[in-house]
Amino acid sequence: MRLSFYPGCSLEGMASDYARSIDAVFRNLGIDLVEIEDWSCCGATAAHSLSQTMSVLFPARNLAAAEKLGLDIVSPCAMCFNRLRFSQNMIKKKVFDIPWPVTGNVRVHDMTRFLAEPPMIKSIKERILRPLNGLRVVCYYGCQMVRPPKITGYTDYENPQTIDRIAAAAGAQVIDWSYKATCCGASIGIAQREIGESLTRRILQKAQQAGAEAIVVSCPLCQSNLDMIQKDRSKRHTPVFYFTELLRLSFEEHGDPKWFKMHFTDPVPLLRAKGLLS
Amino acid sequence: MQNIISDLDQARKHDSGKERKLIGDRGDYFLNRMEGETGVNISACYQCERCTNACPVSHFMDIKPHQAIRYVQLGWREDLIKSSTIWMCLSCEMCTTYCPNEVDVAEIINHLRNMAAHSSITPKEKSLAVFHQTFLEVLQKSGRVNEFRLMNTYYLKPDILHERIKNKTLKEDLLLGINLLRKGRLKLFTPKSKAIKEIKRVYSQTRGEIV
Repeated sequence: MRLSFYPGCSLEGMASDYARSIDAVFRNLGIDLVEIEDWSCCGATAAHSLSQTMSVLFPARNLAAAEKLGLDIVSPCAMCFNRLRFSQNMIKKKVFDIPWPVTGNVRVHDMTRFLAEPPMIKSIKERILRPLNGLRVVCYYGCQMVRPPKITGYTDYENPQTIDRIAAAAGAQVIDWSYKATCCGASIGIAQREIGESLTRRILQKAQQAGAEAIVVSCPLCQSNLDMIQKDRSKRHTPVFYFTELLRLSFEEHGDPKWFKMHFTDPVPLLRAKGLLS
Repeated sequence: MQNIISDLDQARKHDSGKERKLIGDRGDYFLNRMEGETGVNISACYQCERCTNACPVSHFMDIKPHQAIRYVQLGWREDLIKSSTIWMCLSCEMCTTYCPNEVDVAEIINHLRNMAAHSSITPKEKSLAVFHQTFLEVLQKSGRVNEFRLMNTYYLKPDILHERIKNKTLKEDLLLGINLLRKGRLKLFTPKSKAIKEIKRVYSQTRGEIV
C-alpha cells in the first residue's frame, strides 16, 4: 500500500521524534509513505485568522502536489489535517481562484483514523511483539482533529475512539475520561502564557484524576503543551506519548531510551517500572 | 415596534441622561453583509448561550461569544473589531459544534478577525495579533515554518519585547528556549520549500497588516 504523506512543519522541528516513530511504525506495517514533493506550510491558525484566501491557497498547493501523485494523503498533524480538509471543501465550492491545478478529490486521512480502521487494527495486532500490559493511559485528541465535524467527518466527536482503539490494540489499558477533546490552548501560550497554562493544566489534572500514568496524543502542539507544562519536577508527572511511539515500543523487540530523549517529562522510569524498557 | 428607540436625543431622555447604544445606524446592512460573506444564518441565533458555555476562554473575553452574535445582529461592527474576543478565540470550534441552530460562531469570529486585520484599528490583544502576523512572515520567507525562527522573530518584535521586559517574563522565555534547544526540539536549520516565489505572491496579495 502506498500513501502520500504530508508531514507538516512541526515534524521537522518540535516533533521530530514523532516523525521518527511514524517512520518506524509504517515501515513495520509495510505501508509506503511518499512525502509530498516540495510541500509547504498549511498556514495553521495564523492564515485563517488574518485572511481566508490564504487559508485556502496554502493547503491547496499541497493538495495539487498530492493529486499529481494520485495517492490518498495521510496527515499526522491535527492542524494540517483540518486545514487540508477545509481547503478541499472550499476548492469544491469554487469560490476562490486557485493558481494551481487542483480538483480537491484526493482523500485526506488523519493518521489515527487511518490506523484505527478494522483491517489496520488487525495488522497492528499481528505485529505486536511486546504488548504494553499494565500501562494505564488516557487518550487525548484535542480540537482540530475532531471539530468541526462537518469538516473532519468525525461522527463521534464528543467521545472519539480512534487513538483509544490503537492504544488498546497495543495492549495498553485505556481509561475513559471526559476531557478527550477539550482545547489545550494551542499557541495562545506563546503570547499569553497564563491563559495557555490554565487550560493545559486542567487537562493534565483531569488525566491524573482519572488514574492515568501517561497521556497518548497525536497532535504535536498538544504534546508540547502538555509535556512542557510539567517542568516542575517536585509534582507528580505524567509522560505524554505520541501514539506512534507506543506502537513502535510494542512492535520492536528492544526499546531504546533514546527514542524519548526529546520529552521534557522523562517516560523512561515509568516504562522501566512496567518492564517495557531494559 | 414603537419601543425601539432610533433617535439619540430620545434615547437620552428615555434613560434619564444615561448614554444608550443605538441599533446599527445602517439598519441590518452589517448583518446582511456578514451573512452573505460567511454563509452562516446569523439571524437564527436565539441567545441560548450554549456557545459561551462551551468556550474554554470565554472568561477572558470582553464580549462573550453569544453576545458577539447579538452585536452582529445589531450592527455594532466597531465594538466587535475593537474587542479582545476576536483575538482571544482559539478556533477550537466548540461553539460551532454545539450550537443548536447551526450558527457557525467560530467562523463569524474568525471573519471578524479577518476584518480587524484589514482595518486600521489597533487590536486589543496585540500580542496575539502580532503572533499570527509573525507566523505568516516566517512562512512566506521559507515556505515552511521553523519554530526557532518563529520564536526569535516574535520575541524580538519591539512591542512584544517591551511587554516582556515590563512583565519580567523575558528570563523565563530565554530559559524555555535554552531548554528546548538542549532537548533538541528546536532545530536551527530546517529544509525550505522550493516554491517560495508562489507563496510570496499569495502572501503579498492577501496579507493583513496589523497597525
